[in-house]
Amino acid sequence: MGKTPAINRTVQSIDDQKRRKREIIIIAVIVALVALLTFAENRVIHFGADFPISNTILMFILININMLLLLLLIFLVLRNLVKLLYDRKRKVMGAKLRTKLVVAFIALTLLPTIVLFFFSINFITASIEFWFNVPVEQALENSLKVGRNIYAITEDNNRFYLDRVAYQIKTKKLYEPAKHKALSHYVQVVQNAFNIHGVEVYGTNSKRITYALIPELENKPFSVISANDLQQEMNANNVRTISENINRGQLIRTIGTVPFGVKHTEAKAYVVLNVIIPQDLSERMSSISRGFEEYQQIKLLKKPIQITYYITLSIVGLLVVFCAVWFGFYLAKSITIPIMALAEGTKKVAEGDLSFTIGAVADDEIGSLVNSFNKMTKDLRGSREQLELSARMLRERNIEIEARRQYMEIVLKNVSAGVITLDADGYITTINTSAEKMLRLKSRDVLHESYRSLLWGQHLNMAREVMDSLMNAEENAVELPLKLSINGRPRSFLINLNSLKGNAGEHMGIVMVFDDLTELEKAQRMAAWREVARRIAHEVKNPLTPITLSAQRLSRKYSQELNEPVFDECTRTIIDHVDLIQNIVNEFSSFARFPTADPKPGELLPIIEETVALYREGHPNINFNIQAPPSIPILNLDRQQLKQAMINLVDNAIAAIKMDGDIAISLVLDNAADKVRIEVADSGHGISDEVKTRLFEPNFSTKKTGMGLGLTIVSTIVNDHNGSVRVRDNDPRGAIFIIELPI
Amino acid sequence: MTPFLKRAPVLIPLVLLVLFAGQVYAQDVRLKNIIVTNTRDDLLIYLTVEGAFTEDMQTAILSGVATTFSFYVNLHRTRSLWLDKKMVSLKITHTIKYDNLKNEFIIQRSWEDSKPITVQSIEEAEKMMTEIDSLKVIPLDHLEKGNRYQIRTKAQLSKVRLPLYLHYILFFVSMWDFETDWYTIDFIY
Repeated sequence: MGKTPAINRTVQSIDDQKRRKREIIIIAVIVALVALLTFAENRVIHFGADFPISNTILMFILININMLLLLLLIFLVLRNLVKLLYDRKRKVMGAKLRTKLVVAFIALTLLPTIVLFFFSINFITASIEFWFNVPVEQALENSLKVGRNIYAITEDNNRFYLDRVAYQIKTKKLYEPAKHKALSHYVQVVQNAFNIHGVEVYGTNSKRITYALIPELENKPFSVISANDLQQEMNANNVRTISENINRGQLIRTIGTVPFGVKHTEAKAYVVLNVIIPQDLSERMSSISRGFEEYQQIKLLKKPIQITYYITLSIVGLLVVFCAVWFGFYLAKSITIPIMALAEGTKKVAEGDLSFTIGAVADDEIGSLVNSFNKMTKDLRGSREQLELSARMLRERNIEIEARRQYMEIVLKNVSAGVITLDADGYITTINTSAEKMLRLKSRDVLHESYRSLLWGQHLNMAREVMDSLMNAEENAVELPLKLSINGRPRSFLINLNSLKGNAGEHMGIVMVFDDLTELEKAQRMAAWREVARRIAHEVKNPLTPITLSAQRLSRKYSQELNEPVFDECTRTIIDHVDLIQNIVNEFSSFARFPTADPKPGELLPIIEETVALYREGHPNINFNIQAPPSIPILNLDRQQLKQAMINLVDNAIAAIKMDGDIAISLVLDNAADKVRIEVADSGHGISDEVKTRLFEPNFSTKKTGMGLGLTIVSTIVNDHNGSVRVRDNDPRGAIFIIELPI
Repeated sequence: MTPFLKRAPVLIPLVLLVLFAGQVYAQDVRLKNIIVTNTRDDLLIYLTVEGAFTEDMQTAILSGVATTFSFYVNLHRTRSLWLDKKMVSLKITHTIKYDNLKNEFIIQRSWEDSKPITVQSIEEAEKMMTEIDSLKVIPLDHLEKGNRYQIRTKAQLSKVRLPLYLHYILFFVSMWDFETDWYTIDFIY
């Protein structure tokens, strides 16, 4: 991503500094190299003495540039080669491709270069050989020989004449100083006769005695041969020839001794015959000589020239090869760098980092590949973001659904009605806590069981009917009241069955909602009776008072007058029975408006003992047994009312036992439930299940006499104490009344 | 910098090779029989060069290449505490040229003012080229008695001139060149 401008600037300046430092280093190295190379070249290369300074400097510069270029190329190529090898070892992506490209380039250039190289060398060698071929050399040599022959012939001629002349001079003894004139004359004659350009005679002292010249040379100075030359050894022909250049041409001077062919020590005189070779001939000869000289020198230099050519060719060839190699590297780089970037990019994408983009490259296929790659990663990024978004939304939905489900579970758990669901095949799928409590079941015992296996007898039949009617889509909902005995206790339920239908109307299951109406019913009945009692009490009470008053009035007025025992008995009976009625009404009334309990902390056991004590004496055929644990806590109780309740219970127990039996009252401390249980067990005739359900209703009695309010009163009292009372069967016979009071 | 340093082990031997390539071509040329003597008036020196006339040299000379030997003779007065004082600095040249037409060698010696000497055989020519006899270094009255003097001398083949401006192309043709070391002779006058 883009850096801030401030950071950019510092980065740039650091880069600049680095670059400048590098440049300075490079310049210094180049200068050092140039100096070194120049020094080296100086040692090796020797220019001619007359090689102009400027040219020297120019040549040096050219050579140095060449060498520097070559060195630079070698260095670059070597560096790249080393880097390539290193990369190959490290298995860097693209190294193999680069190697292939470079090798291809090298092969591509090496082959033609080598071919050209060898061909050129052979060509040059052949050409050089051709130039220096034999006919040329022969021609030159022959020309030289012609030239030499001219000298040889001249010398020969001279020698021939010298011999004659020397003989003559020796014979005539013309070398003697007295014969000087004759010598001069003779010399002139010789010169004329033989047309020799110059004839000289020297004495033993190396001084010229006389000479004769052709007319053209007369009166012109004619140089003297030096004593040194005169005294030099003769060659094989007994003559010695020296040559001089004069303006007329070349002067060939042949020296001979007198007498001819003797040693210097014996020589009496020297004769020199001079022949002038014309200027143009002389020039031609010298040019022949020069040409041959040069040819020979070039021949000498044949090898060096070849070597120079080879070296130049090699340098050029090397330059070409290295250029090609470097170009190969460059091309390879332009291919492998994008490829490496692509490889790295794919690796990053595989790892999951989708933010990688490759910089744009050239326009060609690789460029389009790079662009496709970038586009692909961008698309991937987009779709991944979308995916993440939908995943997030899904998660949120799931959480919502889960929350709702949990909420529903909590609701179901806490709702007071029992909910049982069955699937389409009649297997129980859910059962909530209230249902468990109401039916005294554990969910794990009934879950996933079919109702057919859980019910039997008439219940099973009933269930079957209900299920069939529901499943056959005749009805969607069924409501039926049901009376069941749970754990020996009668309960009354109202069951609502609803069938669950899917979208297409297929039967999916049944949901059963039921309420325990037992308490409700009880309360309703209680309330109803209370109301009745109140009404009756109220209605009946009213006429009672006038009746009592009237009877009393009658008794008062006529009792003494009549003094009739029948009269008194009747009025007494009326008053007594009205009192009785009054009592009954009062009972009703008191039932209707039972005084609320006034609980005070007290002990339970004394109450029970007192109660039992009341009956123990009166019923010797019954075995009273009180069982209590040592520590019964103090409870909040209304002593009077509880005593009344106990009295009622014991009464019932006694009434149940016809002859003899046992009445066992036991106190049980239930710490876990924080309750105290009073169990009154008798071995009487027991209570049937149907009776059990109606036991605590007012005006329900199995006794012949009695209002049936006893247990009702017990129930009311116990309820006022926030307790509960229930009945169950005693084993083997009889009934147990259980009062539970909270602690 | 580091890439150069890395390449240094490769570059330096190359450069050194080139540097000392010149030495490879040097021949084994020595000065021999260096004699410093005096006549009544002058200090004389005799010396001979040995090993200069190689086959290549002979071939070159026979091909007509003009060859010049240069001799350097320097006389110093040695001083213990200071640089030596150069009293005389002589440069002598011997030049030889072969005339293939006349088949003779023309030798010119700079310290002999005479005309060029012509010899017929190569042995004579070699002798003339390589020897210096009775070269007058300095008149004796320029020397102080009791001083230490040193004569330094060496011989060198001057640059050979190639024909046809080939010397523009052929840089490597220095195969005949030679240069001896400085030979020194100390003496006390």
